[in-house]
Order: sequence, then C-alpha cells, then structure tokens
Amino acid sequence: MKITDLLKKDGINLDVKASNQEEAIDALISLHEKVGNLSDVAKFKEAILAREEKGSTAIGMGIAVPHGKSDAVKTAGVTAITIPSGIDYKALDGNPSNLFFMIAAPNTEADTHLEVLSKLMTLLMDPNFSKKLVNAKTADEFLAIIDEKEAEKDKENAAKAAPAAKKVSKIVGVTACPTGIAHTFMAAEALELKAKDLGIDIKVEKDGSGGAKDVLTDSDIADADVVIVACDKNIDMGRFDGKKVIITSTKEAIHTPEELLNRATSGNVDVYHFTGTKTASVSTSNETLGRKFYKHLMNGVSHMLPFVIGGGILVAIAFLIDTIAGFGTSGGGNFGQMLPLSAFLKSAGGTAMGLMVPVLAGYIAYSIADRPGLAVGFVGGLFAANGNPALMGATGPNFPWVNALLGLEDAAPLDGFNSFIGNFAFTNNGATVSGFLGGIAAGFLAGGIIICLRKLTAGFPKSLEGIKPVLIYPLCGIFIISVLMSFILNPVIALINVGLSTMLTSLQAAGLIALLGLILGAMMAIDMGGPINKAAYVFGTGMLAQAALDPSLGTAAYISMASIMVGGMVPPVGIAIACKLFPNKFTESERETWITNIVMGSSFITEGAIPFAAADPGHVIPCTLVGSGVAGLLSAIFGCTLMAPHGGVFVFATVGKWPLYILAWLVGSIITAVMLGLIKKPVNK
Amino acid sequence: MVSQVVKVTNEQGMHMRPASLFSQTVTPFTSDVKVVFNGTSYDAKSVMMLMSACIKCGAEIEIVCDGPDEQDALKKAVELVEAGLGD
Repeated sequence: MKITDLLKKDGINLDVKASNQEEAIDALISLHEKVGNLSDVAKFKEAILAREEKGSTAIGMGIAVPHGKSDAVKTAGVTAITIPSGIDYKALDGNPSNLFFMIAAPNTEADTHLEVLSKLMTLLMDPNFSKKLVNAKTADEFLAIIDEKEAEKDKENAAKAAPAAKKVSKIVGVTACPTGIAHTFMAAEALELKAKDLGIDIKVEKDGSGGAKDVLTDSDIADADVVIVACDKNIDMGRFDGKKVIITSTKEAIHTPEELLNRATSGNVDVYHFTGTKTASVSTSNETLGRKFYKHLMNGVSHMLPFVIGGGILVAIAFLIDTIAGFGTSGGGNFGQMLPLSAFLKSAGGTAMGLMVPVLAGYIAYSIADRPGLAVGFVGGLFAANGNPALMGATGPNFPWVNALLGLEDAAPLDGFNSFIGNFAFTNNGATVSGFLGGIAAGFLAGGIIICLRKLTAGFPKSLEGIKPVLIYPLCGIFIISVLMSFILNPVIALINVGLSTMLTSLQAAGLIALLGLILGAMMAIDMGGPINKAAYVFGTGMLAQAALDPSLGTAAYISMASIMVGGMVPPVGIAIACKLFPNKFTESERETWITNIVMGSSFITEGAIPFAAADPGHVIPCTLVGSGVAGLLSAIFGCTLMAPHGGVFVFATVGKWPLYILAWLVGSIITAVMLGLIKKPVNK
Repeated sequence: MVSQVVKVTNEQGMHMRPASLFSQTVTPFTSDVKVVFNGTSYDAKSVMMLMSACIKCGAEIEIVCDGPDEQDALKKAVELVEAGLGD
C-alpha cells in the first residue's frame, strides 16, 4: 500500500490558519468530507475527539496523527494539513505541532489503520522529511515529497529483505536423460527457476546430448552444501563422493522442484559414498594447455588399447598356427592365412586393429567435445586409417565418371569441379594412410570442429536446441572432417609417402645397403602404420616382388626386408623391457601390457607400441626410432636376409643368418628400453 | 542483556495509543529497550519506531533489555504487553 493511494491532492491543505486543536481537527475532517471518505461527519468527529481524550495523538517532533476508526467512515483515507506557525496539540515532548495527518478507517477487521500508521511513521522518522513537508508550498509538491521518500524507503526495504532471503546454502545439480534433448533441460530449468524464486544459489550441469553444459568444476562441487542429481541415466558420480547428495529423476525435478530444493536446504540429506573408480575429474580452467592436450590424448589411447591387444594377439595366433602347420618357410606373402582357421583369426585380428585409429580419434574428440565429437572423430579416424577412398575399380556404362578419370575412350569428359573432386579425393588408395599420428590429428580436428559449431550456433533460438545434437553437429561435423581429411591432410601424407619412396629407391640404386637398413628400420618405428612406416614397408614388399622377376635384385631386396621387419619388431619389445626395468615411467595399466607387447613384437605387430607412442609421442618415438634404426643397420651389416613380408619369429626359419638377426633385434630393443629409461618422465602418482 | 518473547494480544495491534503507552512505560528505565519483530530491532522508547514496525494482533515480539535495570524494565514491558497494552 502506498500513502499516496490514501492521501489525495484534495485531502491536503497547506498553511492552514488554525490556532487550537479543535480548529486543526475541523480542518482535517472537512478535507475528509471533501474527498468523500465519510458518511457521517458529526459521528466521525466524535470518534476523533474521543480518541484525543484518551491521550494526545501528537507524537512529537511537531507531528500529530489524529485518527479514528468508525462506522462513519465510507472508505479509508488520509488527509493532511500544515500549520507552519505551530499549535499546541498536547504533545508528549511539549513542543508545538505543525504537521498533521488524519487517518480515517472504516470499522472493519482489516488492519489498514495500523499499516498506514506504520508506513507514515517509517517516513516521518526522518526529520528532514517532515521539515520539507511543512515548508511545501503546494499540494502537488507535498505529494511529490511523500512519493519520493516512499520510493526510497521501498528500495531500502527491498535491499534489506534480499540478503535476508538469500539462503545460506549453495546447491549444485546435474540433470541428464537418455536422449539428452528435452528432459535434461526441462529439469534444469525447473530447478533454476524455482531456486531463483526461493533465493537459492544454484548451478545446474546439463548433460545433454549436445555435450555437457555448465559443467560443474571441482571447486563448484567443493563449495556446494548439497548436490541434486536428477538423472535418468548413469552419470559420473565419483566426483560427488562424500557430499550430501539427493538422487532423483528428471521427472521429480520437473514436477516438484520446490520439494527437492526445500529438502536440499533443510540439510537433511544423506552423505553419498561412491563405490567404484573415479574417472578423471573436470578440473578448473586453470589447467594448462599441455595438460588438457594430454588428457584428451589419453582418453583416446586408453580406449584404443583393447583393440590393439585383442587384435594383435589374434594375428599372432594365426602366425603360430601356420608355423605349426609347417608353412613357416613356404607361406611367403600369404603367411598367416594358409589355413581357414589361421586366415579367420588373422582377419578377426585385422578387423579389430582396423578400429584402432578410428577409436583413438573418436575418443580424443569425445574428450574434447563430448558426445557430438565421437561420430566426427570416428569418421576422421577412419579416413586416417584407410586413407582417401580408392577410385572405384569398376568401369563400364554405370561408371561414366570413373571411365572419364581413367581416360577411357568412350567416356564423356568431366567438368572442372567434378574432375577436381574425382582426381583429388580418390587419388590414392594406400599412400594417403596417415596412421595413428593422422588419427591424433583427426581427433583434435573433430573436437575443434564441434566446439566451433557450438559457438557458431550459440545464437540459435532455444527451440532449436534439440536439433543441434541430432542434426547440425553430426551433419556439419562429419562433412567438414571428411573434406579436411580427404582434401588436405591425406594428400599431404601422400606427398610424404611418395617422397620417402623415391628416397629409398635412390638409396638402393646407389648401393648404400647399410644406410638403407638403418633408414628402413627407423622408418618402421616412427609412426607405426602411418605414411613413413607404410613407405618403408611398401618399398620392402615392392622389392620382394621385383626380386621375384629380376633375381639380380635379390640380395638387396631380402636385406631390405629383413631390416624392415626387425625395425618393426623392436618397439613393442623394447617398451616391454622398459616396463620391467623402469616401472615408475609407466602407468599401472601400461605396465600390465608387457607380455602382450612381447607377443606382438615377436609377431612383427609394431602396433603394440602405438598406445605408448600416442600417449607420449615426444619421448617414446625418439627411443623406438633409434632402437629400430640400430637394429635395421645391424641386420643390414650382418647381411641378414628375409624373403617373407611378415610373420616375426614365426618366419625366422627363413631368415638368413638368423642368430645374428636375433642379436640385432635384441640390441635394438635394449637400446630402446634404456633410452626410454633415460628420456621418459616418471608418471606422477 | 535479558530478553523475552511475548505475543501481542490486543485486537488492534501496536497502534498509536499502545505504542505511546509502551514507550512511556519503558522510557523511565536507563536500560536500552528494544523490540525485535520480523528480524528487525526497533527502539522501544520511540513511539514512531514502534509504530513503524507494524506489529499486528497475534504477532510475537521479542523484548530485549540491556542495562543496569534490565530485569525491571523487561518485567514491566512484558506485563504491559500481556495485559493488552491498555486496550
């Protein structure tokens, strides 16, 4: 209620000439009559006078507030007069009164009278205010002074009320639903709105399918008194260990947010104890760039590891079966698939290992950009693993554009744009494989793409929020990563590949066999399946094929192949040895793979080293590079020869000077292991 | 410092007359006398302060006295409110 609702302009008379109490009262009552508050003037005056007889209504400081509650009042109202010269109103402090307010209240239950009085007193406590009123020249000015003061007081009260209403408790919440489009956000909104109403400080993390929004940091959680988990799917609970946690559903949060919040603020919540392994926490933004990079990388590597182990061992078993079956010396290029069983195992292992790089890229992107990153990362990783699509092998009437690219006579030529795409995106089918290094690049690219898309679409209306994770992110993300991989990264890789092949051919032509062995061995251990490794391996198998046609090339070809294989066998074994010699340099899960790595190294499955190299490329790759290079060099100097393109220890029977070959292998592995011990940093734990 | 919570029982609450009576009752004491209502403390020796608190019938107020004669002041004030503030 406002004073000015009750005090009208017509109810104010300034500078009244009155010399005693009764004249003042008469003046005030006549104003009430004029405004139309009264039904019976005489009766109201009786009530006023009766009140004055019980004790003066002059409250001091020159102010008097005569008032009456009576049937004679039609509507509640206030009138005011000023008598600047002052009259004796029998005030408690004995001073004359010069400012008069008369309250007329109908005889009802309502406390109008009390409220008006209270409000008036609040204002009049400021002596400047009453002085201003007495000096007011017009009724408008008088009202304006009251209005101003009242607004000021209301503001003060609001300011005072606000901190009092503010809850002592701080709450954080997480909402999530299986689809992550609607309920996640509805629940969060319900909680946030209700908390605002109740004056509760809340932060709600929304684990939607578009990635988690407003992610709770460690300090958010530490500061919170209570955690509300309104989720219909599993979320990372480890971070709430030891906190008071309310576990509920999104439905509850949407329908009864107030109940939840009240329960939370009551503090009557059980402390939650997490049983399970804590996953990496969301740390605060003070994380260094390098640390973030490492975290994303490790997320990819740890997901990739099972594929490497399972696939690698299956392939090794395939080799073992063929060895037992007696194909160790005669299998040649088809070693490992000479029987249906071994062929099946090799293909199963190969399939699993084929997922390695996509999984690496996918989970790097997932770590950066959450769920939307995964699909984009997988696709980018597959481009890295497989290289650019190969030009379709089929020609004929259904493939006019393939015919055109191949320059077949009856094909209509392609226009510029299509010919560009056809020639560029389909150029190579092996040389564009970028392997795990390309996969790491693809993973970070994919994460970055989603983050950019998120920023670009931030201005979209809220109603389109649901469409982002199901349409915009996957569509735009996959398109962009495909273009980047096919048209930029992979062609660059192809250039490297071609350049390296040329270098190897000229080395061989120059007859520098020892140097060739060193370089081939080292190349096997740099990117382990990427363009460098590929160039070396393809050179070796290419030489084998040529040697079959031109026996004069034989020695060079077989020596090259031997260096290549030993180079590929060193990294996993060297790392396995390092795991045993320097356990503090590796995490527990890394150390546990040492047997697997021995098996894979022995089987010429260099990929066993990838998880280590991917996790810490700057330190691991130099070690494997040097170890493999030395092994390749020794093998070439010793003049070891190999006629099979793969097989590891299972084809040692075909290796010329095999004892020296094993020596080269062991020396290389030990060099790798010792270097790892010197270079690699201890795992901080 | 002593204090006691009392309920305002007179029908019209702490309007002008009860407020004057209350302040007149406590003013002679040397102790500080305050009325705490709705989280705010009001000087009970000021009629205007008391009235501005807008204490209605049925409200619970806490009377806080602090000074050499705090016991007597509190006793008087509580008696007055319990007796219906003269209404």
